[in-house]
Amino acid sequence: MMSVIRIDTTDKHIINLASIVSGARSILYKKVDLLAYDCDGFTIHKHLPKAVVFPKNTAEVSQIVKYCSENKLPFLARGAGTGLSGGAIPINGEVIISMVRMKKLISVDLENRQAVVEPGFVNLKLTNSISDKGYYYAPDPSSQYCCTIGGNVAENAGGAHCLKYGVTTNHILGLEVVLPNGEIIEIGKNGVLDEPGYDLLGLLTGSEGTLGIVTKITVRILKNPEGKQTVLAYFDRVEDGSQAVSDIISAGIVPAALEMMDKTAIEAVEAAAFPVGHPKDIEAVLLIEVDGIAAGIDEQINQIVKVCKKRNVREVRAAKDEEERGRWWANRKTGFGAMGAISPDYLVQDGVIPRSKLPEVLRKIAQISGESGLRIANIFHAGDGNLHPLVLFDARKPGEIEKALEAGSQCLKACADVGGTITGEHGVGIEKREEMRFVFKEEEILAQTNIREVFNPDNLLNAGKLFPTPGRCVEIKKEMKA
Amino acid sequence: MNVKEKQDLQCYSTLGNYLWRDPPQESKWADCVHCGMCLESCPTYEQTGEEQHSPRGRVYLIKAVAEGKLDVDEHFASPVFSCLDCRACTTACPVDIDVGGLIEEARGQIRQAIPLKGWKGAVNKFFLHGVFPHHNRLRSLGGLLRFYQKSGMQKVVRKTKLINIMPQHLTEMESIMPEVKGSIRKKFTSEIKAKSETKHKVAMLTGCVMDVFFSDINESTINVLTRNGNDVSIPKNQTCCGALHVHAGDREMGRKLAKQNIEAFENEEKVIVNAAGCGCMMKEYSELFRDEPEWKERAEQFEEKVVDVSKYLHDTGYEKPKAKMNMRITYHDACHLAHGQGVRKEPREILLDIPGVEMVQMPNADRCCGSAGIYNITNPEMADAVLKSKMENVPDDVEMISMGNPGCMMQMALGVQKYGRNQKIVHTVQLLDWAYQKEEGDLNDVSY
Repeated sequence: MMSVIRIDTTDKHIINLASIVSGARSILYKKVDLLAYDCDGFTIHKHLPKAVVFPKNTAEVSQIVKYCSENKLPFLARGAGTGLSGGAIPINGEVIISMVRMKKLISVDLENRQAVVEPGFVNLKLTNSISDKGYYYAPDPSSQYCCTIGGNVAENAGGAHCLKYGVTTNHILGLEVVLPNGEIIEIGKNGVLDEPGYDLLGLLTGSEGTLGIVTKITVRILKNPEGKQTVLAYFDRVEDGSQAVSDIISAGIVPAALEMMDKTAIEAVEAAAFPVGHPKDIEAVLLIEVDGIAAGIDEQINQIVKVCKKRNVREVRAAKDEEERGRWWANRKTGFGAMGAISPDYLVQDGVIPRSKLPEVLRKIAQISGESGLRIANIFHAGDGNLHPLVLFDARKPGEIEKALEAGSQCLKACADVGGTITGEHGVGIEKREEMRFVFKEEEILAQTNIREVFNPDNLLNAGKLFPTPGRCVEIKKEMKA
Repeated sequence: MNVKEKQDLQCYSTLGNYLWRDPPQESKWADCVHCGMCLESCPTYEQTGEEQHSPRGRVYLIKAVAEGKLDVDEHFASPVFSCLDCRACTTACPVDIDVGGLIEEARGQIRQAIPLKGWKGAVNKFFLHGVFPHHNRLRSLGGLLRFYQKSGMQKVVRKTKLINIMPQHLTEMESIMPEVKGSIRKKFTSEIKAKSETKHKVAMLTGCVMDVFFSDINESTINVLTRNGNDVSIPKNQTCCGALHVHAGDREMGRKLAKQNIEAFENEEKVIVNAAGCGCMMKEYSELFRDEPEWKERAEQFEEKVVDVSKYLHDTGYEKPKAKMNMRITYHDACHLAHGQGVRKEPREILLDIPGVEMVQMPNADRCCGSAGIYNITNPEMADAVLKSKMENVPDDVEMISMGNPGCMMQMALGVQKYGRNQKIVHTVQLLDWAYQKEEGDLNDVSY
């Protein structure tokens, strides 16, 4: 299976693309191979790509892009395909440029605390390669075991520890990018912070693969904190848990992570592969981690325990060792996948709200759940108000997909209505295109698509993502329902 | 198709484009939400980066056939047969999807839709039907091999470069072929008594390949069991566990062998296994009898009795050896022990209980070595790529690599030879046995 495949098709584009990419099995074009690429972590919308190509270096990416652009073939970049908003789904029958074989760690510069990676390099592997020297890469999306840093840049991925350390954009120092015409540019040269001129790094990071294809990334790496402690707190009432979150932040503590799961989420993680024995009858569990200079840790933990007690916590305890801490995090980080244990399908939303509105929004979500007849679990980065309502449904039942989409959309509306927004870290993709209207006016969307046109004038690169198409939104709704 | 065949077909439910008995089960993939947490655990995805060669992709395609979107044909067979069946994905999966089980069921369908033809079919049939299930024939073949090794033929063949006629990967396999030794089943015809007071009575699976190529490991197993108060019986009617057949999609033969073993061990309380692959298979016999309730029940009772030798010793207690062995070793987790049976700490604890053994941790110790039953013979290029990654993780400064599966032992021996390493490959119970022997003064210049 590693051997070079014979190209047995008369499609001239396939033949020409195959001649660009070197090496064994660097293009897929048969249905059975393509089917595995018809969706990503967002499974509601599916479409077969025209082909999947596997470039090995920037030059090959550039040539593929140039070919697609000259021949008006739609194309997009894909990493591990773990995205949750459909950013890598080839809805226009795109040529998928898979970045997973560009997976080298190019260099590590401990002195200047930066590393250079290829886009297909897996997030967690970076931390694993430098942890023995006492360093790590901070952004830690739950999918960090397998998601690529290239994909993280596209989505501006967040994670549990982004409360204290910031999301991906705060850790990107430089990018090499292939523009949609095939031109290769470098921004943020040598990882120097704050280059004069417009913040192009900021623009590219989180552009969801609509402005260019990242082929090399310079990231910031951090020194491991001297001390670390993790606390688990069980609450009988969601309101108390939410209030404790607000109180912890108000007390001036900045935890590295401050996570919350509600009753339905607890049911799922406990039924799945990494249970830790959370009581079944509690309404909320908080997972709180503090890190920093060893001397201050105990004091912060005491303060957190005090706050939790004030808010009627049923039980609060610190991890007794690294092993227990690891189990708590595995339980939390596999939370989305764990939904499979209690529901055939799920749809995860990604709203952001002011922390103080947490109880109000949770009540609203419970109401949406009641009205739609679908269960909604809540897993969230409570510290930064990033909610992940997980709408549980069964795609085999007629009408349930539409109901789930509608319920998800209403959850986002609830977030936007209290002054929040529709995505914290998963991106807009296909999923939340229409919901962009909850937070942007038509002119504001137009202003942004104008920026896209500067980079991607023919809109061949990942078209139909991130923004609703003016005037076509009704059709898209129909297409989604078909 | 005659009337009888038609009736047979109607008896068993089919599913989408799966037209034969025993199709992949919907309940096995129902929990998969396509999250992708399995991707990095998969050796073939690591090598190819192709999602159809990843657990998530394979499950997706298996489901697509059931939904009628794909046919059971050669294109579908490729990702299904490229799987090493290492089960690492099930360990990584947030909801324990039984990818290995789905793969085996899908292979069963593929082999019925497109039976192997030509020399591949002939070789497959010869070994899987003609040799492995028949202890005597395997022994005869072993005898031939022994003749080949002892008579000087091997030297002649190697010297005259006759060996170059064989395909490269078979030549490599030949060069690490373990020396064929005397069969345990021949040597011990009745129950072997515990060395001191009898605490337990156990039965032992001698295995097919194990008893021909690794009979010294079988002997070590008997030694450590009897030393620790176990009477060991070796039921005569036992046969090959059927793992190789089930992995190859021959579930019919798998069922036949399973029934024979279930009967052979019917009156035993424990079935001790020293080959991870066999143990894992035997702990899953009931999967083969989903449409035969009576056998399913018997299989479930049988599964309860099956236990890996390291776990058995760990759970029932063993005497810590007193003699000092003085060696640096590392431990490789056989997939079918770690991912298949959840046995990880037991063998490590046994090894650490041997005085003077210093254990160096192997990074990614539970990553497949590429042996995967006969995968290294059927998919040599991929097996070699996987082996190469494995060998890169073997620490430089160790003398031995310990493990609990014969397939891994052969593959790792190949790795040591091919990549210019110098480690000895040993089975966990061998080290324990040698330590006991040294204690008793029986171990002269250690035979390892």
